[in-house]
Amino acid sequence: MESTISLKTKGKGKGSKGASSSDDKSKFDFVKEWSNWSLKKAKVATHYGFIPLIIIIGMNSDPKPNLFQLLSPV
Amino acid sequence: MADLLPPLTAAQVDDKTKVDEKVDYSNLPSPVPYEELHREAFMSLKADNFEGLRFDFTKALNQKFSLSHSVMMGPTEVPSQSAETIKIPTAHYEFGANYFEPKLMLIGRVMTDGRLNARLKADLTDKLIVKANAQITNEPHLSHAMFNFDYMGSDYRAQLQLGNSALIGATYIQSVTNRLSLGGEVFWAGVPRKSGIGYAARYESDKMVATAQVASTGAVVMNYVQKISEKVSLATDFMFNYFSRDVTASVGYDYILRQSRVRGKIDSNGVASALVEERLSMGLNFLLSAELDHKKKDYKFGFGLTVG
Repeated sequence: MESTISLKTKGKGKGSKGASSSDDKSKFDFVKEWSNWSLKKAKVATHYGFIPLIIIIGMNSDPKPNLFQLLSPV
Repeated sequence: MADLLPPLTAAQVDDKTKVDEKVDYSNLPSPVPYEELHREAFMSLKADNFEGLRFDFTKALNQKFSLSHSVMMGPTEVPSQSAETIKIPTAHYEFGANYFEPKLMLIGRVMTDGRLNARLKADLTDKLIVKANAQITNEPHLSHAMFNFDYMGSDYRAQLQLGNSALIGATYIQSVTNRLSLGGEVFWAGVPRKSGIGYAARYESDKMVATAQVASTGAVVMNYVQKISEKVSLATDFMFNYFSRDVTASVGYDYILRQSRVRGKIDSNGVASALVEERLSMGLNFLLSAELDHKKKDYKFGFGLTVG
């Protein structure tokens, strides 16, 4: 009985604590989730786009090589 | 041994005349970057031996831009719990694009299984360089990225490193005299929670380079390289870890000849290895690699061709 009472009070304590700090927690969580989302998108963008980016920058440098030189194996 | 004596006495005479010059402490040269501290020793002692076939073809489209195609076939080691090394034969093709400009360097390599290896180096200002290195895979949680910011002062270099899973590091190296440079590093890793500090020293002259590095992870590395002539240099290395009591000593050589470059080393772990790069004609290099691990009875041989 005592143990259940103590558990209940603990639960209530946690609940009230949660309510007061939920605002701060949610701001921090929001920043964390936003940074996680942006890092995931950056990872996918780099994975697919890094080599095409190098190719685009290279094809626009002087002297400008032509498409045939890019695709031919010789 | 008698053959070695005459060149050494000639080197001593040269050193004496140079030591007589006064050291100008306000005008010291810039030290080598902290991660290249052991550069000369690792050229002979950590040559990239490989197993199997390797074919690299680099096609330059203009001065700055080139594409590369690489084929590698051979057994690759898979980490295993037991003492035996498990090798699985694999073959892969890697496509790469490189862009080199004085202020910007971009290197990207992508393999057939979707792994991307990307490197970037940009000179933001005269003294500030940013470098980034990323390995991105399709599997989640196996990708890493590392960003380095280097600041080069007149006789010192400082670097800040930020890595993927909460890894922060900083290194600093300072030229103390014309020949001696001292440096230190500090790092903090989030996963596993570990931090460390290390110190390094490097003493070099025209004919030799000696370096030492100690870290709080327990690793102590000391090496010495002697340049016997324009074509020959010898290196020796001593690594020990004072927590795990692991000791390795190795001796290696590096012969840079007109048509070829031969590098080899022998280790206290019973490993003897050699790498030969022979220039068959302009732009065509033939590679032969051998690594004999007598303790683990693992013998690796590789051959390859590099075009362009």
